[in-house]
Amino acid sequence: MKCAYNEDALRRLEVIKEAKRWAKSTLISRDQFAAIGEEYKVSLYHPNLMIRLLLFMATALGLSGVTGLFGTILFSEASRIFICLACVLYGAGTIVALEKMFLKNNHFKSGVTEAILYYASGFLIGGIAGLADFDLVALTTWTCIVVFSFAAVRYLDLLSTAAAIFSFAYALFYHLYEVGGIAQRLIPFVFIIVFSSSFLMCQKLRKKKNLLVWTNNLIVAECLSLLLAYCGGNYFVVRELSLNLLGLQIEEGGDIPFAYLFYTLTVLIPWLYLYFGIKKRDIILIRVSLFVFAFSAFTFKYYFSLGAPEIALTLTGIIVFVIALMLMNYLKKVRKGFTRENLLSEKWAAANVQAFVVSQTLGGNQASATQDMPGGGKFGGGGSTEDF
Amino acid sequence: MIKNLPEELFAKGLITKDQFAKIEPIVSGDVISVFYELRTLLYLGVMLFTAGAGILIYKNIGELGHIVAIISLTAIMIVCFWHVYKKGPAYSNEVVKGPTPFFDYILLLAGLLFVSIQGYLQFQYAILDNNLATSTLVTAALFFYLAYRYDHVGILSLGITSFVSFWGISVSPVKWYSGNFFEQSNLHVIAILLAIVLSSAATFLHQRGIKRHFTFTYFNFSLLMFFCAAVAGLFIDESIYGIYLLLIYAGCAFSYYAARSSQSFLFLLYAFLAAYIATTFFLAVTLHVFSNEYLWFWYSILSCGGLVYFIIKFKNHFRQSS
Repeated sequence: MKCAYNEDALRRLEVIKEAKRWAKSTLISRDQFAAIGEEYKVSLYHPNLMIRLLLFMATALGLSGVTGLFGTILFSEASRIFICLACVLYGAGTIVALEKMFLKNNHFKSGVTEAILYYASGFLIGGIAGLADFDLVALTTWTCIVVFSFAAVRYLDLLSTAAAIFSFAYALFYHLYEVGGIAQRLIPFVFIIVFSSSFLMCQKLRKKKNLLVWTNNLIVAECLSLLLAYCGGNYFVVRELSLNLLGLQIEEGGDIPFAYLFYTLTVLIPWLYLYFGIKKRDIILIRVSLFVFAFSAFTFKYYFSLGAPEIALTLTGIIVFVIALMLMNYLKKVRKGFTRENLLSEKWAAANVQAFVVSQTLGGNQASATQDMPGGGKFGGGGSTEDF
Repeated sequence: MIKNLPEELFAKGLITKDQFAKIEPIVSGDVISVFYELRTLLYLGVMLFTAGAGILIYKNIGELGHIVAIISLTAIMIVCFWHVYKKGPAYSNEVVKGPTPFFDYILLLAGLLFVSIQGYLQFQYAILDNNLATSTLVTAALFFYLAYRYDHVGILSLGITSFVSFWGISVSPVKWYSGNFFEQSNLHVIAILLAIVLSSAATFLHQRGIKRHFTFTYFNFSLLMFFCAAVAGLFIDESIYGIYLLLIYAGCAFSYYAARSSQSFLFLLYAFLAAYIATTFFLAVTLHVFSNEYLWFWYSILSCGGLVYFIIKFKNHFRQSS
């Protein structure tokens, strides 16, 4: 399937974005950036993130009005099948409107396009699933896969990409679950095999020149494949899903089947990701590995708590802090291609964003509603006052 | 990232040879920066450590281990402050780069440990008259001082949140689910006044050329607080809602000006949401337009469609110039 945009225009836009990052990191001058912008002039309408969000919300609100209008005028007393068919038609019609009205006018991920796309996807999926009265899980799931994949491939949409992958993972789980018996026991291994190969496949595809426009979609797919493969081997995920969905009973002192295998995988996979991330200098693998390290730590803490969470927290904090300090020291120079210096600024990592994160995750946010309670105060752990 | 892009630009004469030599290894992935990863780790370390230490302080009070914990935390805090004091760069009104990449985090750690220990001392020995509010104010003052002295936006935002929490307001959009912004009566009025005070102070400092890169954070908290409070006011004081309506529109005008001058359209997003709620409320109360559902649908289509059209039509107005 082809993407809905002019590939040359997309490439120009990408060049300008890249040059903008260089300019922000003072690798090139403002004048040079302006010259590059002139050379790679492009007429796509692709506003900044906040304007996109604004347009997205306004479009979504407006579209709900359109639906309400149609709904009340035409279908107040129609049958279910008729309404579902109308939904499918309406969804398809919206996609056509998206292409004719907005893509024709050079909109590229402008906020308006996303709102219309998700809206249309919702109607297509809802309409088809509704035809079977929402009873056929397989039909709903596969409709999701098809519709989201279409949205991902044709409109390069990243959220749709993620949705398509999750729908696929769900379908895989669901079908194996339906087969029952030994197939249910194999679900974790199937997940590991399928998603690690999909990771490798995405990496290969990302190197192909003619698939360049889908680079970001493939990166999303890579990250999610890594995470899903990890989930297949994670003890916590396997145990809780086995208990809750597969009806596994664990006797006193017993454990899930192959428990030691899953313990091993929980420890091993993060190290594996990190090792290959460093070896292949793949920042995606490194980032995902940091994330799954945290999840592995959580898994072990959950089942083998030594009590005293505050000591565990404090110690983990010290260890993480010291490791980071040591790495910073080690990477003063470029070693094995890694450096601690900031080469290219990331859009999402602006100081203002960080400040907001700090204010929301660290203290200083509890309203002190104690002004009119002299001598009060809600400080202190339970029972701590009794010692004195 | 586009492979061969540096070559292409070099061939076209758009970048120089030196720049090509610098950029090429970055684009090709020969050199990889783990700048953000390391900073995330440092931040996680600080967060986990202070969270753990905060609980540690109040547990097992009176036991020997407890006293050891307090003493060692105090020692760590003193070492951190000493490091900051020794290595800290001179004050400047402009952006100041820390002497080391981890300087900011040592400073953050020191400040947070101070809060924990100060809270403990006050709790234990009632130094500050056992008044929690006073200690919040002391915390805020320390944070403001550290933020300006060592140029730390993160600590500034902590200072702002503890300053407004002194007045009983919790600015936490992340925790919106846990309850009302304004549980006590009249808090929304205080919030509006505080927002005006904070943003005026920020504007004043901005014009004086003092730490201009702090202005965004001031405006962000002020506007969030202002709009939430004013929208809440619409519903709480329904009889005089007109005042809040005008306040919201004035806030929108200010947001538009702030968004244009700071090149951050986040403020416009707040303004749009607040103005939309306010206008809808106004139409519903005065004109009773929404007794007819068709009118309601037409209203949302036309108002939102109009806005979308407006933004696209005047797109150059909403463009980041950088």
